[in-house]
Amino acid sequence: MYKWFKRGRVLVSLAVAILITLAFLFFSNRDNFFFSSFLKVQFVPALLGVFTGSVIILASLFILVLLFGRIYCSTLCPLGTLQDTIWRVASLFWSKRSRRFKFSTPKKILRYSILAISAIPLLFGSSFVISLLDPYSNYGKISSEIISRSEQFLHNILSSVFPDSIFFRTYSQFIAISFFFALGFLILVVIMSAFRGRLYCNTICPVGTTLGFISKFAAFRPVINKESCNKCQLCISNCKSECIDLEKGEIDVSRCVACFNCMTVCKREAVSYKFMWGKRDVDNVFPAKGRREALVTMGLLGSFIAVRAISRKNPSAPLNTSDGIAPPGALSIANLKSNCTACQACVSACPNGIIKPATGEYGINGLLMPVLSFEKHFCGYDCNVCSQVCPNGALIPLTLEEKKLTQIGQVRFYEDKCIVVTDNTACGACDEHCPTKAITMIPYGDKGLTIPIVDRDICIGCGGCEYVCPATEKAMLIEPTSVHMVAKKPIVEKQEKVVVDDFGF
Amino acid sequence: MERRNFLKSALLGGIAGAVQLKPGNIFASESKEAQGETDLVAVMGGDPVTMYKRGIASMGGISRFVKKGNKVVVKPNIGWDKKPEFAANTNPELVAAIVKDCLSAGATEVVVFDHTCDEWQACYNNSGIEAAAKAAGARVAFAHDEKYFKEVSLPKGLRLKSAKIHESIIDCDVWINVPVLKNHGGAKMTISMKNFMGIVWDRRYWHANDLQQCIADCSTYSKMPVLNIVDAYRVMTQNGPKGKTTEDVVTAKALFMSTDIVAVDTAALRFFNQFKEMRIEDVSHIQKAEKAKIGTTNLDTIKVERIKI
Repeated sequence: MYKWFKRGRVLVSLAVAILITLAFLFFSNRDNFFFSSFLKVQFVPALLGVFTGSVIILASLFILVLLFGRIYCSTLCPLGTLQDTIWRVASLFWSKRSRRFKFSTPKKILRYSILAISAIPLLFGSSFVISLLDPYSNYGKISSEIISRSEQFLHNILSSVFPDSIFFRTYSQFIAISFFFALGFLILVVIMSAFRGRLYCNTICPVGTTLGFISKFAAFRPVINKESCNKCQLCISNCKSECIDLEKGEIDVSRCVACFNCMTVCKREAVSYKFMWGKRDVDNVFPAKGRREALVTMGLLGSFIAVRAISRKNPSAPLNTSDGIAPPGALSIANLKSNCTACQACVSACPNGIIKPATGEYGINGLLMPVLSFEKHFCGYDCNVCSQVCPNGALIPLTLEEKKLTQIGQVRFYEDKCIVVTDNTACGACDEHCPTKAITMIPYGDKGLTIPIVDRDICIGCGGCEYVCPATEKAMLIEPTSVHMVAKKPIVEKQEKVVVDDFGF
Repeated sequence: MERRNFLKSALLGGIAGAVQLKPGNIFASESKEAQGETDLVAVMGGDPVTMYKRGIASMGGISRFVKKGNKVVVKPNIGWDKKPEFAANTNPELVAAIVKDCLSAGATEVVVFDHTCDEWQACYNNSGIEAAAKAAGARVAFAHDEKYFKEVSLPKGLRLKSAKIHESIIDCDVWINVPVLKNHGGAKMTISMKNFMGIVWDRRYWHANDLQQCIADCSTYSKMPVLNIVDAYRVMTQNGPKGKTTEDVVTAKALFMSTDIVAVDTAALRFFNQFKEMRIEDVSHIQKAEKAKIGTTNLDTIKVERIKI
């Protein structure tokens, strides 16, 4: 029976990891939100997005963990699947001896301190620490920086083989710090999992630690039947969580990821997945203690959400100066910095390729969070993709109508740098690109030239003008609005309908 | 016949022959009976496809321009992520009709492309041109990366001495320029010559180096379109070239075609002037091109045909 549990677990985990990866690939994330909708079924995104439509998902995840323990970690977590895959591959190279896992003592202090330092800043409106540690978000960074880049490389090889039917893929931003963070994280995870299985999950991962608390009171828990067990150690050597203590005949459920390996390999059916609610008297199980810890954790999570709900309404200290333009839907830079975990879902989905991981634009606690760059393109007027794919509620979903009025920045015109002034020749590239006609051209000089004039109230900060301005030092620059505003609607200029029935020449 | 009368008529006939007086030249400059090929056709009052068919017939048919076995490029304006009713891009039905016509004339391949301003896939899609062109049998080429463009020198250019031009233009036998008639904030008007901004890679250079002169300079390119077909079915008369709403658009139902790019732009501008005042001096690339002997703004010197449907 457990064999089938395990097969099912492997199947689901691979499917979820593939679906999540596809949300980051160009090949699959254009013109649909199918794959990106799976990103919402992740613990940290659901927790942060609890006020923006993820309540049901978060509740379902809790129920799942409460029923089956950390099965989340071995089915829904893409980083978990990645680690299992790495172990699987690495073990092919290991000797029989070193392929065996051993029991390790829980690193409680380490786990709790990491959980604390990643959770506490969230209460004060910063998701920075969690963004560096959250398994989903880091899997996202790996997908975007490494897998998607490899895909682009392949795509471009194919485009030179089939130049007429496959196009060359251009403008992908390369931000060294983001790439090397993803690469470094991947290397760390590769090393940890190749030698020690789920070591990351049971030392560093804040999600693993949190779910570990709850799973202590899970309905189904793995239990060793001391009478049937002959201490052959087969289960231990197959336990990638290294959480089976045969000396005591106990399984540390806070570290067990419910992978079913132990149950599958045991020749005497001594390990089983048992319904434990209401079974106080079973040996070696401390339901009262487990229940207490689980309740305390749930209580803490509840208060955590409540505190975030309060601080959400009163964003602490509004930022007046910022160098970064946050993507539409971010509401404010403060909101972005309190909810974004830098998973790069928006970065890889942006059709214009203008979203890049921030280097210093939002300050150190906004590192790697999405920021717009108008260097290679500008924000499409009829596009709201980034706001639709964000699983965290760091970018709230905007309808196209809302997006077209969302003022992410405001243009400033530096007349002295404008080509029309410096060269006394026609240009109008900015006016050409302006979708709302916040920029219009008015007569200039007596050569029939025109020069731009701006109306900042209807500007939405799309950056078309800044991108296209041909002056060496840009005459049009978008100034970020740290709290996004609603722009005035573009003025509709009715024109009298002239009836023309002649050619005019 | 009396000898005197004979002599009289013979003498008059001789004089008439000597000064080459023809009835058409005396009474109108737009004779349909005149010999030689038509230089410019203006059509009005039909749907885009009908106007094209009437127009091309009076130009002498597509076979005058496209020979059997030719590789042809049809270059519309697909600059913006806008639906056809916004008139920011060339009418897709017109593009499809031209593609079909070229193929029926024996073209081996018809390529359609534009170097867009908005994100290229959105433009190709929402303009309706990609779908229409493909359905008509054309290949839609990519033009969103510098690698699709090749350096070409423009020795006659005053400010624009060279440009990176799209490979399909360089590789084709003939190309047909199919702009849409629009108002333009910077260049004042965008018609046939301005449509060349979509065959080059670096437009920013033009804007930074006397836009009007660069537009004229690019038309000194040795491989000019064999035919320019200006779509004026829907005309954006304000807020061009991108436009805001369909309020910016009038349904003018016209089409102009000519082998002379300066003449066709002049004709289209004069037509536009009836909706919104527009002086040819302000659209200075037209006169600059005339100065470079690319074509003529004097429509009386060429053979013009006007068709009303």
